[in-house]
Amino acid sequence: MFDDDAELVALIDNELDESSRAALMARLAADEGLRERYEALRRTSAPIGAAFDALIAQAPLARLAAALPADEPLRQPPRRFALRALAAGVAIGILAAGAAAWAALSFGLIGPRDDWRSAVAEYVDLYTSETFSPMHPDAVLQAAEIGAVGAKVGAKLTPESIGLPGLRFAAAFMLSYEGSPLGVIAYVDPAGAPVLFCILAKPAPDAAVRSEQRGDLAIASWSRAGRRHLVIGRIPKEQAASLAQILEKRV
Amino acid sequence: MSEAGRREVRAGLEPLLARLWRYALVLTRARDAADDLVQAACVRAIERADQFTPGTRLDRWMFAILRSIWLNEIRSRRIREGGGFVDAEDALTTDGAHDIEVNMTASAVLKEIGRLPEAQRETILLVYAEGYSYAEAAATLGIPIGTVMSRLAAGRAALAKLK
Repeated sequence: MFDDDAELVALIDNELDESSRAALMARLAADEGLRERYEALRRTSAPIGAAFDALIAQAPLARLAAALPADEPLRQPPRRFALRALAAGVAIGILAAGAAAWAALSFGLIGPRDDWRSAVAEYVDLYTSETFSPMHPDAVLQAAEIGAVGAKVGAKLTPESIGLPGLRFAAAFMLSYEGSPLGVIAYVDPAGAPVLFCILAKPAPDAAVRSEQRGDLAIASWSRAGRRHLVIGRIPKEQAASLAQILEKRV
Repeated sequence: MSEAGRREVRAGLEPLLARLWRYALVLTRARDAADDLVQAACVRAIERADQFTPGTRLDRWMFAILRSIWLNEIRSRRIREGGGFVDAEDALTTDGAHDIEVNMTASAVLKEIGRLPEAQRETILLVYAEGYSYAEAAATLGIPIGTVMSRLAAGRAALAKLK
């Protein structure tokens, strides 16, 4: 590299201001050696362009495109969590193996929060009327799924004991919250909207049903027999409370 | 939060993949690392899509993200692990055989570019492959325009010695 190279390259790249350009052109006119150097540097333009073009052609596009995130998560961890939970539910709905799947999910993924009701609300918020409505487990599968979830959370659950008026059972699956088993019974209303009955096997003092509203989600929660329970859905607050009253007596 | 920005990022990523990969390869000089770097940049872009101003240049925004991840997260780790910096001569090359003459030239040029220091490689890519003006390259790299000029000249001088 010579002293004038930077200026010569800038001239080639059309990046010199007018006065520098005029001065350099005058020198080039008078200096054959400088002209040769200019030519030598200028000849590298086309090969550089061709080389970079050749690299573009080698990009593993299919692999890179396949690795693109599947959606545009606003908050990625809860989304990933929800999709995995959904996958577990679908597996249960579709596979006729009879055993409820244990979805090794952890609410720890979505960071610290005030309580498990917030954690549940956060991912229920992502469910739609299409999440559970395609699932129609037969009677044998229903009993197996529900019984398996009950066993994990230490409650005796049957299709009869968890049956609720106006709601159809769709799926039962396991999650975990801060290391404690969290059983989920998913129902859909006639329009397909999801309603969940959740049981967390983490001791708490007995507490009567308490209602709350979080956005468009109604939650009714209570504690009994060393377990915490809640009913959650986009339903009227009063309906959530009355469903909770029914379950509180049976479970 | 900009929903329009998010949509624009989402829709605009895929057409940029080849150029992002080329930039990543020039920085990393290793194909596996280039793949990882592009993927990390795309994930980061989607996470931060609401920070993108719709109507501005997505390619430049993506390049800045990719560069930041390389400098702050990947390069130091690869140095620490003692891996990644394989023989530069083999890192940048072409693998096509459909046009022997062109590829021999491109191959030789890429090999030479691969031998240049990272700062020169990156500046050459931004200006000659991506069309950054000197001023844009200087702003992106956080260096004076004079440094852009000397890096480009050093790269061209090395290439001028070929043949």
